[in-house]
Amino acid sequence: MLKIENLTATVGEGAGAKTIITGLSLAVPAGEVHAIMGPNGAGKSTLSYVLTGREGYAVTGGTATLDGADILALEPEARAAAGLFLSFQYPVEIPGVPVMTFVRTAMNAQRKARGEAEISAPDFIKKSREIAKVLSLDPEMLKRPVNVGFSGGEKKRLEIYQMMMLEPRFMVLDETDSGLDIDALRTVAEGVNALRSPSRGMLVITHYQRLLDYIKPDKVHVLAKGRIIKTGGPELAHRLEAEGYDGVQAEAV
Amino acid sequence: MSAALKDLIRNPTIAELDLVARFASLKADPRRERLFEAFAQTGLPGRRVEGWRWTDFKAAVTSIDAPKNPPARDPLARDGVAVLRFTPGGYTPPASLPAGLRFLAKDDVQAMGGAEEAPLGALAAALSGGRTPGTLLVDVSAGAPVHLHMVFEGPGSINAARVVFLVRPGAELHVSESHLGGAALSAALIEFTLNKDARLFRTVYQIGGAGEAQAITALIEQDAGAESVQTVLALGAKVARIETRLVHRETASKATLNAAYLAGGGLHADITTHVRHGAPSCVTRQLTKGAVLDGGRGVFQGKFHVPRTSGQQTDASMQHNALLLEEGAEVFAKPELEILADDVQCAHGNTSGALDAAQLFYLRQRGIPLTQARAMLTEAFIAQALESSGDLVEALRAEAQAWLNHAA
Repeated sequence: MLKIENLTATVGEGAGAKTIITGLSLAVPAGEVHAIMGPNGAGKSTLSYVLTGREGYAVTGGTATLDGADILALEPEARAAAGLFLSFQYPVEIPGVPVMTFVRTAMNAQRKARGEAEISAPDFIKKSREIAKVLSLDPEMLKRPVNVGFSGGEKKRLEIYQMMMLEPRFMVLDETDSGLDIDALRTVAEGVNALRSPSRGMLVITHYQRLLDYIKPDKVHVLAKGRIIKTGGPELAHRLEAEGYDGVQAEAV
Repeated sequence: MSAALKDLIRNPTIAELDLVARFASLKADPRRERLFEAFAQTGLPGRRVEGWRWTDFKAAVTSIDAPKNPPARDPLARDGVAVLRFTPGGYTPPASLPAGLRFLAKDDVQAMGGAEEAPLGALAAALSGGRTPGTLLVDVSAGAPVHLHMVFEGPGSINAARVVFLVRPGAELHVSESHLGGAALSAALIEFTLNKDARLFRTVYQIGGAGEAQAITALIEQDAGAESVQTVLALGAKVARIETRLVHRETASKATLNAAYLAGGGLHADITTHVRHGAPSCVTRQLTKGAVLDGGRGVFQGKFHVPRTSGQQTDASMQHNALLLEEGAEVFAKPELEILADDVQCAHGNTSGALDAAQLFYLRQRGIPLTQARAMLTEAFIAQALESSGDLVEALRAEAQAWLNHAA
């Protein structure tokens, strides 16, 4: 489903550009959840931004395809319409734009790009209500401007709300566990797990093993210095937790 | 034309000579003459005149020919509200007047306070009339709130209009104005006197073509406990200035002065305000938001004047925030607080910058195309400045949205 081959990418412009991704290869087949773990500065968030096309992140080599189609040549909105979703590590505040307006605009823009009909207002509201319930979100919150005045945990839950509303085909979760207490973590994981399906793929970026107790990965990759240095099963996450990144890194070199 | 008239303006431009000729053709009236002389001190104001450095009518109004564009559509037109229309031919009163409103057409021209400080207001007063000479006075008496819609539109070469409102003690006036262009030069002077505890809700929509000049001048004087709430949406013209000069002349008077300007390529929108806290314990709240495209120019000039003795316990705040949406957009801002009293609360803030890249990416990652994302963020940015327009907020927002979608 998602296939990344020998990807290299830089952050910054001109003389200040720094190579952060240094030949990264990875394949997540449909129906699987893969975790990426790695120390600070390994390039985890950079990978999420390169995949979704954020400005200031330039691909200098390699490929990334979703179901065989090149995504790196597309504008960010076209990647979203193709089904790529990023749950941000730090969701931004959008003053003046209510959550519901925002998500409905996004949903209809994606549908339009795919040649589908817009969602009707009653259908949208019904769906929103159901998902808010699953995530224990206060419906009043969805009338407020996006992320403005939300706690860290609320922001993360709102990311998952958007994900469940938009039903993407491939999801990248960037440190979704940070800022969540254990109850919120469980709720969020429930939402994420509800989206697992044979036709979807998921890349869960995390610093700690904790999240993976709730979102069970099929594979765990260790990212260090911009590339995957080790791949294993869920047990690898436990090993990292016990031994730290240093041991695994030393072993790989 | 007599030699004396010609000499009124030093080194007149062709457009200024046109204005002199127009003035000479009107019925002689000593007050009209005084008003024209007040205008003639500067002529069409330009960059050499204080307060007009960034809004150069002298350069922009090269000649006063019939305009090429018809007036724009009126988004504030609505059923059930009396309409007062100003065209180059004069004014047309509503077919029937709502209760509480009285129109008095004076044969002679009325004096205007501070004419020298507002040269284009003085020009509007000096040239207003046309078919219907004199001054239109509107008397608003207490009772249920009174609603009136005013339209200022061409076609014609010059549309000079003046209307003077007296809002009696405890009366409430809701006035909307659509300045729709269609004349080479539009100059409107609107005066309000708010008596004790009177309330004024003024909503102004301005749009003009790339070959048109528009000057909208309002003078507002407020007695004790009076309150005014003004909301402006300006889309600019070749050169457009919306100027409000407000005096709190008795205690506990309150004013809200909000505005949003959107200037596209080749267009200019100027929001200028001057507020004098001439009595203790008065309140002024001002919020101006703007967004400008490549080749457009936005101007904000705000001044609070708080005299030493009369201005004590003033509570005033001024905020101006501008978005430069593209390279080549220009915004000039001059917030000014002249505070001589010591027991006051005055705050001001002034920012200009581009749209936030992180916000734009967030919207795009959710599938919203760049142009639509820009429009959404810009609309959200200016929306707050339009909220004070009450029932008309949706109409103004729709115009702003249409502009943003077109601009994007």
